[in-house]
Amino acid sequence: MIQIFHVTKHYDRRPALTDINLQIEKGEFVLLMGPSGAGKTTLLKLLYCATSLDEGQILIQGRNVARLKSSDVPYLRRTMGVVFQDFKLLSKKSVYENVALPLLVQGLPTFETRRKVMEALKAVGVEHRKESRPTMLSAGEQQRVCIARSIVNSPIILLADEPTGNMDASLAREIVDLFKTINARGTTVLVATHNRQVIEQVGRRVITLDQGKVVSDEGRGL
Amino acid sequence: MRRLIHFVREAVANIRLNRTTTIIAVATTAFTLACFGVFLLLYLNLRAVATSLQGDFKVVVYVKDGLPPSGVSELQGLLKADPGVQALVYVSKEQALADFRAQFPDESHLLQGLGENPLPASFIVTLAPSHRSPDSVRRAAERFKSEPGADQVQYSRDWIDNLATVVGYLELAAVGIGTVLSAASVTIIASTIRLTLYARRDEIEIMRLIGATGGFIKIPYLIEGTMLGAMGSAVSLVMLKGGFELFSARLGMPGRFLGIDSGVHFFSGQVAVLIMGAGLLLGFIGSAVSVLDLGRAKP
Ligand SMILES: Nc1ncnc2c1ncn2[C@@H]1O[C@H](COP(=O)(O)OP(=O)(O)O)[C@@H](O)[C@H]1O
Ligand SMILES: [Mg+2]
Repeated sequence: MIQIFHVTKHYDRRPALTDINLQIEKGEFVLLMGPSGAGKTTLLKLLYCATSLDEGQILIQGRNVARLKSSDVPYLRRTMGVVFQDFKLLSKKSVYENVALPLLVQGLPTFETRRKVMEALKAVGVEHRKESRPTMLSAGEQQRVCIARSIVNSPIILLADEPTGNMDASLAREIVDLFKTINARGTTVLVATHNRQVIEQVGRRVITLDQGKVVSDEGRGL
Repeated sequence: MRRLIHFVREAVANIRLNRTTTIIAVATTAFTLACFGVFLLLYLNLRAVATSLQGDFKVVVYVKDGLPPSGVSELQGLLKADPGVQALVYVSKEQALADFRAQFPDESHLLQGLGENPLPASFIVTLAPSHRSPDSVRRAAERFKSEPGADQVQYSRDWIDNLATVVGYLELAAVGIGTVLSAASVTIIASTIRLTLYARRDEIEIMRLIGATGGFIKIPYLIEGTMLGAMGSAVSLVMLKGGFELFSARLGMPGRFLGIDSGVHFFSGQVAVLIMGAGLLLGFIGSAVSVLDLGRAKP
């Protein structure tokens, strides 16, 4: 599903990732660990084409991401759900409109959109805030809206960057359960986190990054 | 359908967001089109006058005094056969005298005492439309003069031709001024759209990240630009109409102008629609220019 070969990425000559090699199979649930600055966000960004790599190759479903035409990038992104570390919600739109956005850009009919959006909002428990602006919500609620938007489209791959960073333990547990449910339906899930509780709860493959290198890869194929 | 509603709503929201720049853009476009419109009004009206004058234009062929009726009808036949002649009216000596008396009743004593009627008979020739250019007129006049029985040939159209020349220059000037002003309003609209793009850069980035295509992102801005152009041309038409009414009321000339019945007219519906269309197009081009590089999704 995701194949990463010898990937190196620099920001102004400072290495953020060095010679990364990873294979992630369809249906896997992978946790990406590591201290702040290890390169977790950068790795995820490479996967959804939000930044370019310096060396190496990334294949997603057999397609070379680095060689993807600019006009094909939107279609790759539509197969993915992304939970951004900084949420990236549209502040002038309601919660409902934000979650509906991935469906709007694909031109889904209103009826189906409503059903899917309400389903996603219920799954993360923010359906009662659907008319609010994101700026009126707490950080934890905004994060949940962002998660709802990432799953509304039933993605093949779900990428989540510190998705429980602004939640208390019990809410984090619910979110991880949600990811497990989505994973059980066949979606490949890749979550960057440094939350021990999440790791224990998932109990699956854990890849640890440090200073842009893979330092351990445990529980593969479990 | 939902997407269309989305696009229009976004465009309207953008216009609301940048109220000041929107007003400036609309005002500039309106001013631009109004300047051009004044020119166009002047041009269209002068052209109408010139055309109608050219249509009225006549050549008078005087008949040699004392020509027998058979000679007159021979000359009439020859003139009729000329390819440049559209219509022909014979004015006899008696008719000419009567006309003169009718036209200048106070001067009729001038003819008294001369005894015999001094006015010659004549043919009044209306030239065919294809023979109304200055050169053809001159050649036709020479032909008429060489016909047996013809005496003098008279025509005066220098000032008509001058008018035609002026109209020609106006046409050139209109194209030139139109081009410069169009470029100006395209530039203004483009920079207005660029301001919107700048204000919305974070949102645009988010739209991209969730899988919006370049087209999806661009369309609201194209609609915004087109709406600015439309508003500009609507305002300019209102300004022109107001100015025109004021101007024609001041000069008090409903109807006659330069003694021609055509009068001075505002734009026909067709021309007004064309001006609206021009405004739309300018707005569209302006926004298209500024969203050109919005297509790339990759960093
Ligand atoms: N846009 C950027 N420009 C310059 N340096 C960056 C940028 N993003 C990340 N970095 C640097 O790259 C390294 C990895 O960052 P990041 O991928 O965000 O790590 P993590 O998500 O694991 O905290 C850090 O040293 C960070 O300072
Ligand atoms: Mg990070």
